[in-house]
Formats: sequence, C-alpha cells, structure tokens
Amino acid sequence: MEDLKTYAEITWCPGCGNFGIFTAIRNAIPLLEEKGIKRENVVMTAGIGCHAKIFDYLNLSGIYSLHGREIATASGFKIANPNLKVLAFSGDGSGLGEGLAHTLFAAKRNMDITMILHNNGVYALTTGQFSPLTQEGWKGPSTPNGSFEIPFNSMSLMIETGATFVARGFAGDIKHLTDLILQGVEHKGFAFIEILQPAVPYHNWEEYRENIEYLENEPENYMDAIKISKEKHKFTLGVFYRTHRPIYHKELYGDHNPIANRLSRETRLNKIRKILGSK
Amino acid sequence: MDSDLFTFIVGGKAGEGVKKAGSVAAHIFSSMGRHVFQMDDYMSLIRGGHNFSAISTTPRWISSHYMKANLVVNLDKRSCETHTNDIAENGIMVYNSGEQEFETGIGIPLTTEAENYPMKKLMFGVGAVAILAATIGFEGEKMNQIIKEEYPTGIEDNIAFADTIYNMVYPYCGKKFTLENGDKKRPIITGNEAISLGAIAGGLNVYYGYPMTPASSILHFLAQQAENFGLAVVHAESEIAVINMAIGSAFTGARAMVGTSGGGFALMTEGFSLAGITETPLLVILSQRPGPATGVPTYTEQADLAFALTAGHGDFLRIVASPRTVREAYFLTAEMLDLVWKFQTPAILLTEKHLSESSMTVEIDLEKAKWAEPKMHENGEYKRYLDTEDGISPMLFPPSKNIMKWNSYEHDEFGITTENAEMISFMHDKRNKKLDALIKYLKKQNTVNIIRGENPTNIFSYGSTYMSVLEALKYGRMNPTSIAPIYLSPLPIWELEEFKDQDNIVIEQSSTGQFTKLLKEKAGLGIRSTIKQYNGRPFDPVELSKKIKEVL
Repeated sequence: MEDLKTYAEITWCPGCGNFGIFTAIRNAIPLLEEKGIKRENVVMTAGIGCHAKIFDYLNLSGIYSLHGREIATASGFKIANPNLKVLAFSGDGSGLGEGLAHTLFAAKRNMDITMILHNNGVYALTTGQFSPLTQEGWKGPSTPNGSFEIPFNSMSLMIETGATFVARGFAGDIKHLTDLILQGVEHKGFAFIEILQPAVPYHNWEEYRENIEYLENEPENYMDAIKISKEKHKFTLGVFYRTHRPIYHKELYGDHNPIANRLSRETRLNKIRKILGSK
Repeated sequence: MDSDLFTFIVGGKAGEGVKKAGSVAAHIFSSMGRHVFQMDDYMSLIRGGHNFSAISTTPRWISSHYMKANLVVNLDKRSCETHTNDIAENGIMVYNSGEQEFETGIGIPLTTEAENYPMKKLMFGVGAVAILAATIGFEGEKMNQIIKEEYPTGIEDNIAFADTIYNMVYPYCGKKFTLENGDKKRPIITGNEAISLGAIAGGLNVYYGYPMTPASSILHFLAQQAENFGLAVVHAESEIAVINMAIGSAFTGARAMVGTSGGGFALMTEGFSLAGITETPLLVILSQRPGPATGVPTYTEQADLAFALTAGHGDFLRIVASPRTVREAYFLTAEMLDLVWKFQTPAILLTEKHLSESSMTVEIDLEKAKWAEPKMHENGEYKRYLDTEDGISPMLFPPSKNIMKWNSYEHDEFGITTENAEMISFMHDKRNKKLDALIKYLKKQNTVNIIRGENPTNIFSYGSTYMSVLEALKYGRMNPTSIAPIYLSPLPIWELEEFKDQDNIVIEQSSTGQFTKLLKEKAGLGIRSTIKQYNGRPFDPVELSKKIKEVL
C-alpha cells in the first residue's frame, strides 16, 4: 500500500472534487516524510459526509468520527500525545454546521492540528440540502423556495476566531493544494485549509474554473487579512493569514507528554499517600 | 445509639465561611482519632441564601451525618429559623446576637466582634469553630494551631478573634460535651477526591470536563493535581467536546476519563454510542442531582439509573457500577478504569451528590487499587477489530508502522466501513461476545455487598443510600440482611438468585422506584415495599430508621 490507498472501494461520484483532494494528500505525505515527519506519526480523523469517505481510502491510522465531532477527536489526539501530527478532514456541513463550536474553539485555543475543510457548498451525501457555506437562494430539498440565510465567510470567520494559518485551495489545482497542505501541517498552531471541491451532481467544474483567482500577495497583518478576506470573493485562493502565538498543549503542560512521560504506578501511589497525609 | 455520637451543625449565608467551618470542625474531630461524616447543604448561588454543614462523629465507623445536633451554631437569623427542629434533646444552640436576638439559645455577638477586624463577616466561620472548640473543651492552644493551618490568610486576626469568641462562650457552655478520643487520626476526603485519586491510581492520563455540579470538583481537583501527576486536564467547550476529545485521547493509548451530571451526560450520549462501536475504553463519572433538566443543581437524587443503563443508541456493552462509600469510590474508579481497558467498552461510574460532595474519614490500602492495562497486539498483521474467542481485539497505539482504524460506521476487522449483510451481523456478534467474557470475569469479583442479619427481611440499596441504610440500622438497632449491588450493568443476578422469593424491601432516592424496577425485571426479585425519598436531601438515619421499622 505504498500509494497510501487501502483496499476500500471508492464510492465518490465519478468526477468528484474529492479525488483531487485525495491525490493532493497522497502527494503531501511523502513530501512531509522528506522533511522528517514520519508517516507513523501522522494520524487522521474525519467527520461524516462525502468528505469523510477519505478515511476509508487513505491508509493512515485514526478515528472515523461522528458528524461534526472530528475537530474534538483531533484535539483529543493532540492533547494526549503532542508528538503526533494530526489531520482533521472536515466538510462545510460537518465542520461549520454540526461541529461549528469545536472548530471555533480549536482556533481560539490555537490547537496544533490541521483542519482540511472539503467545501462542496452543499450537503451532498444527504441529497443536496444547503450548507453553512451555500449562497442564498439555493433550492434544495429542505429549502424548496430557496435558502434565505447568508453563508459564513469562512476566511474572516477563522481569522477572527484565532486560527493562525488560514488558507483556501482548489481541488482542481493539485500542485497549489499540495503546497498548502504541506504548509498547514508544518505550521505550529491551528491551520485551517478550505478546499473548493465541486460535487458534480450539484455543481460543474466550469463554474469554478471561470471564477478562480489567486491572491497576489499574502496579507501582512491581521487587519489586512480581515480586509482582504471580506473584499475577495469565495473563489479566491491562497494563504489569507499566517501568524504565530502560543499553542494549546504547550500552554497546558509545556514540554510534557502525558503518554510518553506517564508516571509509574509506584510513583503515583507514593504521591497519593502524601496527599492523604495532608488531608 | 452510642452515647458518644456527637453532631455539629453550622449554618449561615454563602460567603460567611460555613462550609469551611464545617471542614475545620471535621478536622478537629479527626485530630482526636474519631471517625467523621460531613454533609454540606448549599444553594445554587454565590452570596447570601442559606448554607449549612452537618458533621457527625463517633469513635467507631460512621456512614452518615445526623440532623439532630448536639451543637447548632447559627450565623444569621435565617439559620436560626431553619434549624429550630435540628437541636438534639440535650443539645444547645448558639446564635449570632450581633444580628438579632432570639428567645432561646446562647447569643454571641459575632457581627459586633468581627467589626474590629478588616475581614469582618469572612471571620464568622472562625467564630463557629471557636464556639465548637469551647463547647467540647478542646484546648485553646490546639484550636489556634488548627486555625493557623486551615486559615492561612490573616492568621493573627483570626486567632485573636477565635480567642475572644472562645472566652466569651466558655462561661455558658464550656466543656458541655466530653468527646472520647478515638484510636487514630485518619484522612478526611470527599467522594469526588476519592474518585480522582482512584483514577490516578488506576493509570489516568487525561481528564476532560465541563463544569456541572456535583461533578465539577473532580475537574477542579485534577486540574490542581495535573502537574504533580503528569496529567492533561482540560475544561472543554461542551460535554459533546469532552467525550469526543476523550475518545480521541484513548485512541493514542491514554487512559481517559470524563465527569458530569445528568444534563451533561445527556449531551454525551452520542459520543457514548461512538465509544460503543469503536470499542473505545472510556470511563464516565455520572454524579446525579435531582432532574429532570436543570432540576435542583446542588442536591442529591438517584433518578438517572435507568438513563445510565440504556444510554446511547444501538446495541453495545455498557458497564454501570456505583460506589457505596467514599473509600469504595477510590477502588471502584480504578477497577472500572481497568475494566474499560480490559473489555474495550464505555462504562459509567454512577454516583450522587451525596457521595461526591460529602466528606468522610477513610482508611485506604492504596496498593489494592487495580491498574488499567489493555491486551496488546504482539506481532504480525494488525487488524483493529480482529475477531477472537472472547470478542476482545488486541490493541495498538501510534506511532506504529501498522494501521489502526477505529470506525464509527459498521466496519470490517481492519476497520474499513461496511454495508455487507454478513459483516454487519458478524461484528454485532463479535462485540456481543464481550458481555459473556465480562460476566465470566465479574463472577470472580466482589460485585454485591451482602451483610447477613437475623431479621428475615432483606433490605436492598445501592450507591450512597447504602451508607444511610447502614447508619439507620445501627441507630435503630435493627438486624435485617443488607444487600447492595455494586455493579448495576451487568446486574450480578448470579449473586441475587437466593433472595428471589424472600421478603425484600428496597430503599432508594427515585420517585418512580427505578432501582426497584431493575431488581424486579433483571433479577426477578419479589419486592414487598420501597422506601423512597426524592426531596433532594439525603436520608437522615433517625427518620429512615423509623420508616424501616414500619415495614419490617
């Protein structure tokens, strides 16, 4: 399984944008290994939805989580064993709908994980309802007269919440996407990478290719990043924001590792004896 | 009842140091080598209202506070009114005459005296301790030593204030009660401290929580001890996050635990079910308070039993057990941490506010705690959900060249999602086999506590209610057989067989008799009568003994 594929039958629709993401991640893993990040230290999780099928196809260890809970699962990996590199695959419904709170708090905490948000702008697997990133007017089975909620601006939302690496890629530009994933994984802190990913029963690639544009320059500071994320449309690709601040597990326990440095039974009992002595 | 039972009640407003005074009183008694039981009754507010602590002590083991006190100290008017009927026949009441006059009792002007110090009202608790010390003839020097240790802020003022009050009260009731010394000094801990220490002894690495009374003090204690024991202790954004983070941590091999009360556990049930299908070792502490919904946050009940037994959608093995005493909470927590790792399934340690937040003197042989170790994969090809004779698949943790896939969808042995008809039933059967293995294991463990008596009637109880029952039986000099299952799922019916057709009484804190129903349905027991209390308060042994006498 050198190509990082399992034996699972792939059930994405032919032509689905998820294939591009699958390719980019399989390209990125060997490149990360060249940079010294061992494959056995990379763990993954995914929510539930079309995005999450990648869990069955990608030959990495991890948990196929619940809908919306992938970021909490990913945080649990990192907190228990900070030596792990954590990939959290998510969808616009899973990560910004059902699991919004977990996403915002992981950003607020600057949890050192990489969130890869497959944005197909729709609840595809459940037959095409509008998602938190769907434009107003979407006629899906739950909004027959067109949705009337405004979508989130994912870039400004994540920047304001505290993510320290915020970027958008496209499933149709695998080279650019692979590079974003590498940067995200190498970034120390919460990396949010949104990937535009056409779900072919609902969107066509042309609509994307016609509108895609790239940021000319990476914004230099917070205010610029906010401004640019508000001004640019949702087909704009690139790194919107990058900064550094203390990461969660370092603030929690410094250079400790709760698993690698676990105390022996004897040490624990001696310390408990001491506590009881003072009670 | 033995004549050497002594009960102290101190009541006043939140913020006046009532609970602290109660715990200092408990330490005075334990310093005399006596056993202590302390129950704190408090309202869901920060300042004001009415709080009280009831501390009972004897030279023998004691398992409940009593609500008839030899000494009641009322720091305010509301406390005087609340505790009018809580004074024992030979008891005395001391009140704060600085706030109001009262027809009976001994007035001591705490407010007026405290005005002389910058801490003012914050010193009322110290005053209550001084009143107790004088009343039981505890030497002033020794009292000052304890105050020095227990109240590290403003030591000089506290001691001066305590001396004044001590001398003021002495002429009225100095040495009114003589308490015999007991055999040795024992530590005093709360149920939640016992749970936390038991988890640490059993191998805990990570704890996740979201504040909710009466489980919050586990989060607080472990957060305070995190560095000392190398733990990661996290206050997450919700109980949903809490349980999913814990599952993520368990995947890496971390012994994970979470704690909450009924409402928080309701949010956790989705993740609880995830732990079922992913076969995640996960221990949940569920400390009950009266429900439904927000219910009565700072009081006690046993009405989440039925919920705990069936929590989470789908068929999977759930272990539920409930500690009867603070001491047992230490051992049972370690034992359950071991069980969840042995059988790779989620478990609930079901307890109540009354055990979680009451304090007792304990003697614990720490070494007897279990240590959680999973069955590990040794060599060759790895399959996370390998079918085995007992349904338990060996574990492996990252980093590893092998792939470990844990899956919330139904899956094959490797962990890949499946919709295959044969595989679906195969995996159900694989997981269900673990129940047989668990029962086989539990048959060799202590799963039910039985104290044989001479009276032909049997009394069933579980959790902290067992302590109330035991104290009531002692008080009432009654001698029925007492039966208390520690495990509730699987219910150890193999131990209960002999009681099926006997005369059985149940005592529990649920208005619909959930425990009674469980015993009837699962163990086929005939139950003649159930004594229920569901007013949020733990049983008072005197009242309970009357009720037991009526039905015996």
